[in-house]
Amino acid sequence: MNSYSDPPSGTASPITRLVEAFHRLPGIGPKSAQRLAYHVLRAPETEAKDLAEALMEVKRSIVLCERCQDLTSESPCRICLDLSRDRTSICVVEEPLDVRAIERTRGHHGLYHVLHGVISPTDGIGPEDLKIQELLARLRDIDTEVSEVIVATNPNLEGEATSMYLGRLLRPLGIRVTRLARGLPAGADLEYADDVTLGRALEFRQEVQ
Amino acid sequence: MPGRVPRVTKTEAIVLGHRRLGDADRIVTLLTPHRGKVDVVAKGLLRSRSKMAGHLEPLTRVEVVLAHGRSMDIVTQAQAVESFPALRRDLDRLSTAMYLLELVDRLTVEHADARPVYELLHAALLRTERGDGVQLVTRTFELSLLDVSGFRPEWTVCVACGAPVDADDAGWSALAGGVLCPNCRGRHPEASPLAPRVLRVLRAYQSQSYEDAARIRLDAELMGRLERVMHDLVRSVAERDLKSAAFVSAARRASVSESAAESAAEAAPVAVSEE
Ligand SMILES: [Zn+2]
Repeated sequence: MNSYSDPPSGTASPITRLVEAFHRLPGIGPKSAQRLAYHVLRAPETEAKDLAEALMEVKRSIVLCERCQDLTSESPCRICLDLSRDRTSICVVEEPLDVRAIERTRGHHGLYHVLHGVISPTDGIGPEDLKIQELLARLRDIDTEVSEVIVATNPNLEGEATSMYLGRLLRPLGIRVTRLARGLPAGADLEYADDVTLGRALEFRQEVQ
Repeated sequence: MPGRVPRVTKTEAIVLGHRRLGDADRIVTLLTPHRGKVDVVAKGLLRSRSKMAGHLEPLTRVEVVLAHGRSMDIVTQAQAVESFPALRRDLDRLSTAMYLLELVDRLTVEHADARPVYELLHAALLRTERGDGVQLVTRTFELSLLDVSGFRPEWTVCVACGAPVDADDAGWSALAGGVLCPNCRGRHPEASPLAPRVLRVLRAYQSQSYEDAARIRLDAELMGRLERVMHDLVRSVAERDLKSAAFVSAARRASVSESAAESAAEAAPVAVSEE
């Protein structure tokens, strides 16, 4: 797919290296990568320095929460430590951004678990590539109070496959497994859903088949 | 722009897969009868207001209008014709369908006539949708797809010397693409023995109609052996592991542990009366 052949980094020109670095980012094609690289080249040095430092800072200070696997600067994260949250329910989402989307609805007062992806065989992602073992470990913990898992994966094929798979895996543990209601349009992405629709989908959740 | 009409094509297609392109667009992989596999751009598909999103989900048969683009065609209209709802409600059927899609994606080339593959895939999806055994549908589909793609496995005569092979004394090699007679087996270190009943089913599946194949009764053990043979063969042709094949197995394993837990709960009814 990527037509660039990667030369060893010492030999490529600095500009080629930057273009390639941008091109590796999700959603950035070769044209956009060039545009970004030339923007950085023309920008004042302080702007480039800010960008470089922000990149390094985020890698240095952001970790995965040992419990919910969300991105956080301290593990366990703020939500996992918050004693006012309902410890009987866990909302399972695909990506960290989905935690923010659900939080905005104020409809979920329990905990979260971030899978970091969704079952998508054509992209080479199976259950073993997601944070499912970490979820099982939380649910099997003898101190767990969790009685319901709300699967809030996207309403598309991969999201449905993931929710049904989790249903099969978690029901034997005696846990109620529910799924966001069908209010969200098929093929949509949680990240782009408005708060009201998402809130309603959460409120009218249904048992996973 | 008067006088400059963009070239458009209308075609039916089965959506094989998709990937993200930028913030809200997607590249959708379609299997079309006349142009084979094509990647097309669907703009704004990830926005919640997109009217096309549901129509361009993988595992949908769809009518699309494509506008000729510079590097890839662009979808301007999409109308789902069939969305296989029963298939989406059951994990075994759904994982099977995902496997069929991945198999087609790996074995089909772009921009070539694909009418036979298209019809095979459509039929297999319909059979899964109506509740035919997923193993039967999958095995017969794999054999037919390999056949029309030019990878027809040989189950009757030795792939090395052409001599007829006795089902009671057959070896086989995924790499060589079929059975080996006792004389030639020695020159194929990768060859392994093939159980007579497995080979008889493979021969029957390859030579009979789907309806006749459906009449053959198979126990779980035999189905498992057939699956292993076919997965080895597919892996060798596709030159890679198919992730969806592993997912089909993972889904089945989860189902086994679920029914084990259910029967354990039935044996001890006191344990479930908590809620
Ligand atoms: Zn946490």
